[in-house]
Amino acid sequence: MKQIIACVKLVPAAAEVALDGQFRLKRDSTSLQLNIADLSAVEAALGLKEADTQVTVLSMGPAKGEALLQELFALGVDRVVLLSDRALAGADSLATARALAAGVRCLGEFSCILCGRRALDAETGQIPGQLAAALDIPAVTNGQQLEKADNGLSCRRLLETAVETLTVELPCVVSLCEYSYTLRLPSILGRRRAKDKQVEILTAADIGLVAEQCGLQGSKTKVVHVDTKAPGLRKCSYCNPEALCGIIKGVQ
Amino acid sequence: MVSQKALQHAEKCRFCWMCRHLCPVQHQTGKELNTPRAKGLLLSMLSKGTAEFDKDMAKAMYECMLCDACVNDCCTGYQPPLFIREARTEAVVNDLAPAAVMQCIENIENSGNIYGAEKPSFGQDGTDVLVYIGEVAACKVPEMAKAYLRLLKKAGVSAKVLDCEPASGMMLADLMGYVQEVTDQAKSCADAINATGLPTVVVLDSYDAEIMKQHYAEWGCEIKAEVVTATAYVAKLLEDGKLTPKAEAKGAGACHDDDRLARSFHEFAPVRDIAKAAGYTLTEMFNKERLAKSCGTAVALSYMPGITTKVASGRWADLCRTEAKAMLTANPQAYLCLSQCVPEGMTLVDLYTALNEVV
Repeated sequence: MKQIIACVKLVPAAAEVALDGQFRLKRDSTSLQLNIADLSAVEAALGLKEADTQVTVLSMGPAKGEALLQELFALGVDRVVLLSDRALAGADSLATARALAAGVRCLGEFSCILCGRRALDAETGQIPGQLAAALDIPAVTNGQQLEKADNGLSCRRLLETAVETLTVELPCVVSLCEYSYTLRLPSILGRRRAKDKQVEILTAADIGLVAEQCGLQGSKTKVVHVDTKAPGLRKCSYCNPEALCGIIKGVQ
Repeated sequence: MVSQKALQHAEKCRFCWMCRHLCPVQHQTGKELNTPRAKGLLLSMLSKGTAEFDKDMAKAMYECMLCDACVNDCCTGYQPPLFIREARTEAVVNDLAPAAVMQCIENIENSGNIYGAEKPSFGQDGTDVLVYIGEVAACKVPEMAKAYLRLLKKAGVSAKVLDCEPASGMMLADLMGYVQEVTDQAKSCADAINATGLPTVVVLDSYDAEIMKQHYAEWGCEIKAEVVTATAYVAKLLEDGKLTPKAEAKGAGACHDDDRLARSFHEFAPVRDIAKAAGYTLTEMFNKERLAKSCGTAVALSYMPGITTKVASGRWADLCRTEAKAMLTANPQAYLCLSQCVPEGMTLVDLYTALNEVV
């Protein structure tokens, strides 16, 4: 394998995140973490790595995520590229996949792209399929275990009520389930090597996109309204067991 | 530098000072630098570029017992040991760790333990349970290990001890943080334990038990056997009547709750049950159970004997404030640290040896 690309998303670390006037997550005001399922993608990529393989992590998000992505070098990741530009903000899954595909094309020849199957924040699960479509390569979703096979990758994937194992030709996109792989800890040697490495930041223009193709402008979907479920509408009240019969009779 | 997660904890921790009264190192050294908050402040300054990570800062990060007293007390849930461990990683990465720390790491690399010594063989090849002795008991307090094995024999338990017992990774984790080198040790240890096929592993040192029970699974090297602390196992043998102590009054004693039993397992009763069975009338020190004050760790004693002995003397001072004359412990690390400075008129009791005397 020449290059394995792991796509990771920086998602809010807080349990509650504010929305802006356009119903977008206010990522700037919250601390970020790597999306849980994407950790499996990074570990799977490192596990498949051979002596001549380059593992590249590709992400899209605010520039403040750079420090978080920098930590990946210590694990053995060779290159980290962050697509960060105001023009990319507010992208729906289609515009995100388009931007990631454009980013992938800038990274050179690759064997496979590994992603988490869904993100903690938006949870659409659409990116892996849309990315594969944009690049015109096959996709396997809900992966749990990857192994090299003679003519590609052998993937065990999760179905509704079973698991199946199939082989997919390279290059391909595989999305991985949360916790299917445990992300390794950095080694002392890895930390030493990581000191000289830098996250590369690319703008929309760097990956050949114009404003109409990305971010809010390039999105086919728009969030027009967000409702908050108001508590207490069911007018629940507590009662003791003795009072229950009377209440039921009253309802009847 | 340290991870963003660790930095978040440091940034919050630096504003507060509410756990200073619980830090055993700060207590004994009187240095503000030895409060968790001060270490958070150092890392915060580092991230802002107003301080440099140098040997002094690295030394400050090692002046901590990682006893978790601050974590236990923090009502906002911040974890100073998280960023202190990561700062230690950074110190090792940049060759800034104190020379004595580097010597301990070198010893582990060469011999598998911080002492650079060969672990003795306990000649046990039983079939009921595996007893994980740990490097401190094996190399420094072998009497405690032997006493424990004798107790099991008396209870009719056939115990096995690994001939070349691998390190659990606990010591290395204290020296260089949670890094891959630690998980490599953990995996070797888990493999050796799993290869025995025994259903139960009784862990003599609660510090080893903590890393096995609370970290191995997240590192992908789960132990298949049930991991039980040595104290809980013997207390159960007593409860089940497999060990029947003779009534013998030994006077007043106070149990030292070691850091891991106190704060990782919240296990307080078994050690007291053992002490009572051994004939002691129990009294309690002011800082007990989850609030128990650390008496130091074996690893800290190796690279920082002066401060660790002071910390141990702080625990003795707690005992001196009670009517008890005996400090009771079932932990080899606590025994080792406390044995460095036994005050006149006081005695340090290994509970397994004490129990052996009456069963």
